[in-house]
Amino acid sequence: MTLTELYCLMPIVITGCAALFVLLCGPLLLSSSLTAIGVTASAAAGIWAAFTAPAPIQCIPGLAFTPLAQLLIPLFSFAAALTLLLSHGYNERRILKGEEYPATVLFALFAMCVLPCATNMLILFLALESVSFAFYILVSMDLNRAESGEAGLKYLLMGAVAAAFTAFGFALIFTGSGTLALSAALARPENRAIISAGWGVLILGMAFKLSLVPAHLWTPDVYQGAPSPVAAFLSTSSKVAAAALLLILLGHFPPMTELRVPLAALSVLSMVLGNLAALRQTNIKRMLAYSSVAHMGYLALALLTGSRDGYAAVLLYGAIYTAMNLAAFGAISSLSFEEEREQLTDFTGIGFSTPVRGGVLALAMISLAGIPPTAGFIGKFFIFYSALKGGIVPLAVVGILSAAASAYFYLRVVAQLYMHRTEAPAPKPVGFAEGLALCAASAAILVIGVYPGPLLEMVETALR
Amino acid sequence: MEAIIFYILAAILLIGTLCAITARQAVRAIVYLVVSFFALALMFYLLGAPLIAAFEVIIYAGAIMVLFLFVIMMLELESPEKLPKPRLSDWWPALALVVVVVGALAVLLLSHVRAVPPGFTDIPVRQFAYTLFKQYGVAVEIVSMQLLFALVGALYLGRRK
Repeated sequence: MTLTELYCLMPIVITGCAALFVLLCGPLLLSSSLTAIGVTASAAAGIWAAFTAPAPIQCIPGLAFTPLAQLLIPLFSFAAALTLLLSHGYNERRILKGEEYPATVLFALFAMCVLPCATNMLILFLALESVSFAFYILVSMDLNRAESGEAGLKYLLMGAVAAAFTAFGFALIFTGSGTLALSAALARPENRAIISAGWGVLILGMAFKLSLVPAHLWTPDVYQGAPSPVAAFLSTSSKVAAAALLLILLGHFPPMTELRVPLAALSVLSMVLGNLAALRQTNIKRMLAYSSVAHMGYLALALLTGSRDGYAAVLLYGAIYTAMNLAAFGAISSLSFEEEREQLTDFTGIGFSTPVRGGVLALAMISLAGIPPTAGFIGKFFIFYSALKGGIVPLAVVGILSAAASAYFYLRVVAQLYMHRTEAPAPKPVGFAEGLALCAASAAILVIGVYPGPLLEMVETALR
Repeated sequence: MEAIIFYILAAILLIGTLCAITARQAVRAIVYLVVSFFALALMFYLLGAPLIAAFEVIIYAGAIMVLFLFVIMMLELESPEKLPKPRLSDWWPALALVVVVVGALAVLLLSHVRAVPPGFTDIPVRQFAYTLFKQYGVAVEIVSMQLLFALVGALYLGRRK
């Protein structure tokens, strides 16, 4: 390995070393300096990846700094840094001590950095499983709340089954193609049946990770039980990582017609059932969980087109969804003190008593509903545009109708924030770190919504 | 000769596993499972993979199962749990799977395509190590990170308040 090759893989090295450093020096340092180290390392990895030219060759066997990695690593780093900033104050209020939390967040980021760099299926699988593994720990971090442990156990059991499905799918594809390398893994015509079977099982496993209906049942329980900053990280980066895995695989294999029906079924069921179930929720975290089911349905719709436009829409939506959900869960986490503020009625009049946090939550909801000039509109626009252009008109119509219906439950939160005044005392102010994170997420929503040009260009380069 | 050894080992393997899943006491189940692991290890040896045979004995039969035994001894389980008898409806998934497996076997047997087993190639340790640590070295690193964090997570969650 030469120095240039090491430079390409620097984001992975930085995050991995930072995770180990935090673990080693954790007992000697204050929690604020641990957060600072984590945020610095995430930012360094992201900036390094953003300003390094992608190398076409493998750096070391199994890893290459691909154009996709150049887009996704900064995105994951952004999410991890914001999560660490959000959880600093949250963990202090909740008496969650220890270096394990920032170290595990950095480990999740490390695995996420490996994923888009992978050039063989083994690394791809291991990276995805490491991401899930970090989240099993993070979800059950809150020892003071029984729901947190329960959510962790549920996620672990479901995730183990999903991992088995994914591994079996990869094994069948390997049987058919005879190699683990992605670039050489072309479907041989005589082994078509076994490769199709592998894809079928793989799609099932990925449906768990993306929480597509009918494999979505874990989502509301896990989001509700997890600490809010973790839910923010889980609902954004782990979903984008799973979508990226599908993109990488679909990009290397020729389009398979037999995948259309299962993907279409997953997509349409997720869009309709996710939005319908979200209509009935009174708990905002469960509502956001069902909304994420619906949003992953939109992503599957764009994947289904199999076109370059569709894949670009997936990446664009992944980035936008990251900003929106970080803002939404970030606002919830900064409004939670001794208890999680999660019932819809707890948010009555928050828009007046704490204008900034209430405003961020309202902005996130408006963006999730897809109302211009927020980023959510741009994302939905490109998804449905690519679907209509790709010729899957009926599904696109179902998607647009269900997206229109979803505006009801997002705007209900906004109404709850601003339509009534409350007698309850205003929530206490929060620290600088959480304020910074909320500002960064809402700035991203607004900037992408008003001026999406640079992001579109980055997505185009990533797919080249 | 090899075929006879194979069939003897296969019988031990099947009986051992069957006893392992039907044993009511956990300790007995583990000992049965260890027996079947030994038979499996010998089978790997017959297939020309002595290294995997050694790993099977050292890691599965040795480390993991002994760990299980320790855990069960620490828990001090007194009498085996009384499990309710499986109802008739519980059998359907298992029966469906049996039908699938038997069907697949029948299709294979009736298709008359006799696959010629590939020649016996011995893989030396050096080549194995080269493949593992050179070609898949990154994978080993990722797995070790994952195991480290499994340990960290287990320690954190097991901590008493």
